[in-house]
Amino acid sequence: MLVLAVAIVLNFALPRLAPGDPIDFLIPAEQANRVTPEQREALASAYGLDGSTGQQFVLYLKNLAKGDLGTSTRYGAPVRELLADRLPWTLLLVGTSVVLSMLIGAALGFRSAWRRGSGSDVRTLTGVMVLDSFPPFFVALLLVLVFSVQLRLLPVFGALPGSDAQGLEFALEVARRAILPIAALTLSGIGSAFLVARSAAVTELGEDYVTMAAAKGLDGAGVRRHARRNALVPVWTVGMLNVGALFGGAAPVETVFAYPGLGRLIYESVLSRDYPVLQGAFLLIAAGVIAANLIAELVYPYLDPRVRRPGAVGS
Amino acid sequence: MTRLLEVQHAHKTFCTGAGARRRRVVALDDVSLSVGEGEIVALVGESGSGKSTLGRAVVGLERLDAGKAMFDAVEYAHMSERAMRKLRPQMHLVLQDPYQSLHPGMRVATAIAEPLEIAGTGNAKSPKVAAALEEVGLTPAGTFLDRYPHQLSGGQRQRVVLARALVGRPRLVVADEPTSMVDATLRAGIVALIRRLRDRFGIAFLVITHDLDMAAAVAEEVAVMQKGRLVECGPTPKVFAAPSDEYTRTLLKAAAEVGRLDVAD
Amino acid sequence: MSRRRSPGQVLGRVGLVLLALPALAAVFAPLVARHSPQRPSGRPLLKPSLGHPLGTDDLGVDIFSQLVYGSRISLAIGLGAAVLAIVVGVLVAVLAGWRRGWVETVLMRLTDVTLAFPFLPLVLVLAAFFGRGLLVTAIVIGAVSWARPARVLWAQVLKLREYPHVQAARAMGATGSRCIVRHILTRLIPVTSAQFVRVANAAIISEAALAFLGLGDPNHASWGMMLANASSNNALLTGAWKWWMVPPGLALTVVVLGFAFTGYASEEWADPRLASPTGRLRFLGRRRRRPAPAPQTAAGAPATGPILSVKDLVVHYDRHGPAVVKGVGFDAPRERVTALVGESGSGKSTIVLALLGLLPGDPLVKGGATFEGRKLLSAAAAARVRGRKIGFVTQAAMNALNPAYTIHFQVAEAAALTMPIGEARRRAGELLENVGLPAEDHGAYPHELSGGMRQRVVIAMALANRPDLLIADEPTTGLDLVTQASILKLLGDLKDQLGLTVLLITHDVQMVLRVADELVILQDGCVVEQGSVATVAADPQQEYTRRLLNTRLSPLAVKV
Repeated sequence: MLVLAVAIVLNFALPRLAPGDPIDFLIPAEQANRVTPEQREALASAYGLDGSTGQQFVLYLKNLAKGDLGTSTRYGAPVRELLADRLPWTLLLVGTSVVLSMLIGAALGFRSAWRRGSGSDVRTLTGVMVLDSFPPFFVALLLVLVFSVQLRLLPVFGALPGSDAQGLEFALEVARRAILPIAALTLSGIGSAFLVARSAAVTELGEDYVTMAAAKGLDGAGVRRHARRNALVPVWTVGMLNVGALFGGAAPVETVFAYPGLGRLIYESVLSRDYPVLQGAFLLIAAGVIAANLIAELVYPYLDPRVRRPGAVGS
Repeated sequence: MTRLLEVQHAHKTFCTGAGARRRRVVALDDVSLSVGEGEIVALVGESGSGKSTLGRAVVGLERLDAGKAMFDAVEYAHMSERAMRKLRPQMHLVLQDPYQSLHPGMRVATAIAEPLEIAGTGNAKSPKVAAALEEVGLTPAGTFLDRYPHQLSGGQRQRVVLARALVGRPRLVVADEPTSMVDATLRAGIVALIRRLRDRFGIAFLVITHDLDMAAAVAEEVAVMQKGRLVECGPTPKVFAAPSDEYTRTLLKAAAEVGRLDVAD
Repeated sequence: MSRRRSPGQVLGRVGLVLLALPALAAVFAPLVARHSPQRPSGRPLLKPSLGHPLGTDDLGVDIFSQLVYGSRISLAIGLGAAVLAIVVGVLVAVLAGWRRGWVETVLMRLTDVTLAFPFLPLVLVLAAFFGRGLLVTAIVIGAVSWARPARVLWAQVLKLREYPHVQAARAMGATGSRCIVRHILTRLIPVTSAQFVRVANAAIISEAALAFLGLGDPNHASWGMMLANASSNNALLTGAWKWWMVPPGLALTVVVLGFAFTGYASEEWADPRLASPTGRLRFLGRRRRRPAPAPQTAAGAPATGPILSVKDLVVHYDRHGPAVVKGVGFDAPRERVTALVGESGSGKSTIVLALLGLLPGDPLVKGGATFEGRKLLSAAAAARVRGRKIGFVTQAAMNALNPAYTIHFQVAEAAALTMPIGEARRRAGELLENVGLPAEDHGAYPHELSGGMRQRVVIAMALANRPDLLIADEPTTGLDLVTQASILKLLGDLKDQLGLTVLLITHDVQMVLRVADELVILQDGCVVEQGSVATVAADPQQEYTRRLLNTRLSPLAVKV
């Protein structure tokens, strides 16, 4: 909650702290030289920029409470509507890749930990780190190159089919267009999930209860189940932290694929200096990350009984 | 007559955890204890009895919620950190884990010289450092001065820790479980060393231990703590032979059952 | 000398080599690149030639020069942002961790908030408002990335400040700054360097992403900007991607990979657990539930002779390392308590772990051991008896319960190896009652029980499949005196009740004299002396035995 508050204040403060007149940030870039002082004043009063800082802040909060995030200087449309248009596409990409990268990363990480030090561990570790070192948008470019330009298997751009496909066919087309962006984002998220899963499982394997589990006669799979159960907690934490990273990675990746999500919107608004949209998108992403953290918190008690039942530690 | 250290009606409560897990633990509940000049007092009790908290409070690492602590008739339990600095060189703390009591990156000489450096009376090169090493039986001192802790055995490390304790000639050393992580065959050496340092330099010791055998061997007086309360205190032979408190009796019986003490017929 | 390098050591070296390439390019850029990275030096969109090894871009600027000079930008941003973030991070961590109180609350709340923000979007927004200069970019990235190092280092400071050497220094009267400088900062170095590499890495990726999104410094072509230019000039479709996109992309990858590898190495340095035992778990076998083993003695003539017999056992932790156990032999007679006694380093626990096939890593075990007349020293043989015929109470057993499962589940899981699950559940309940845990505690998680209770749970677990031999490694160490006495009594009662044979491993001779029948004294991996307790105690043959028996410090005796 505090995070959201800070994000809101930051959004309010940035145009005012940044070098230059805050009104400059409201004028479409291409008209900047042609705006008369009268027009500036009109703009200032329209946006409440002529009051004191306190009044401005109150006005800003009031508008925010009504869901009014301002007006796009580029489209002239309310920022809220623009965001609402784009959000589902980004949720589709980010949601799918968060889940996929957590599953794949954890599976590989646990497998590596059981075999730590062996050839296959070092190979996987190296492989994942190499993969992780490709910047997400470079991966995206390479994917486009291989699958769209060279092999012509998948469409390059957009999210919606051009034709007026219906029903199942429509869904399939949407899926086809989402495959590459999702792949690029998933690949960029696997690394951190893998490293955390591996190191958490290695740590757990060193715990006394693992020796105990073996001593009481459990086989390899049984012993690993004990370790995995406890290693899940950090994997889950990092998986949820990945939500923020993948929202961030979505901007360049969506740009590469011309995918109509929030990321692409951010890119467009950076290019056209559409600051209200940029701020709105930022606020929305911050809210998304906070929601992810909230979900993470709600799941902890199920992962760790010590959180669920903080019982007495007797003497 | 005032004694070197007097703790009167000490109270200390800890809060642990946060939110739903928050709970209060009474570590010290009206504890009074004194140590005379050049005297060795053993403070015994089980884990969670508050004995370590009392030791930490004596050397000023923990502040009492209520009660007095007097060193040489000077009340210091509620002194400012700055004012206490004058008192610090006269006290020293020895902790149980000889592996962690020395900074792994500091040579023996540097570690031992730390009290001197802090008091401004010497450094790693001063002859007092070598003399302290000889005093604790690490001879010839020259071969130990430049070593790092990992190049020493557990028993040797505990001796280095004791050398650091005596180099500044404090009047009181609080030793928290000084033998619990040392092999059994080396325990006797540490006990003998503590008694020797007292005899030679008149250093008083407050030895905190769960080991009744060690307490009986090292101390003139024994104090028994249970759940933050001091349940019994008296001359060692009397407490062991005729304990007045029910808990002391339970403890002695258990010690005999696990072979830590002999049983008299 | 370690025979084998850990993954981190290998990766660390590779990482340094990878980083050396762009570092050299950055330093010697004017020597390597002949053209200006900013001004046109040919016609636009030239294909690679001798003069322009990677061709020219849409303005006629030499791409190779951009690539070489781009390394300066990436490294400058990476290192600049990392220095800033680490300095702030260390300051915040030390201030919060050392001062505690409200300073800590405020600083760590601030850290958490910064940490909760999505990293790249925040950098994007800040960069959009504050401009595109290199310095501004480095500062913006640094200002956003200090939080993670601060958080990680803060946790370290909290741990370090409780270390005995820090506590001792404080008690000596060392000032706060002295403690921090001499005792805390010196030990923060490994973790700090790991964090430094991490931030530098993230900074380079972020700069590339910013530049790719059009927020780079237009005066300095960075690799990200080259990719953006190439992309907007449709290099993908014209084929120019081969010399316009792949080189900067690979250069980025090489730098990031170099940092990632060195970062992994430095993290291993900070947390040696990640490196240590290089070997796999050896108890990998897959094994289904078997019927309860028929009691050996019931079949025919009662078994005679020792239940466990060890001859010339030699154990190396590592195939190429020195022997830890150097030819040990002893017998464990039926229904007696045999004690392996020795001080730390005597190899007593290693012997048992070797017998049960539980040594970690890649150990070498030689010699002979039989259990009920059958050979024991193979992974398969050990797996056959472990938990079924030999119950094992591990060292520090009260910490050996899985925190995520209830105690009843953990006991039942052991019992389910030889019986159907329903029966195993019933048996777990009985066992727990039997070791003194009332039924209302059976659903408890380990953290809800005291150390003595947990020790009882582990004993119940070891007895789940009615073993013939119970091995207990330091079953009383770390427990309070009164609890120790009750655990010893429990073990004694169980032994009589169930006709168990017990192998007790301990450093505590005085305790052994009370409870054991047979004594095996170990020193430095060898048996010094063995025999019945009465004989050895009355007439020790060896000097070491005499010293060990004489560890009683006080002559005082108590009346009970």
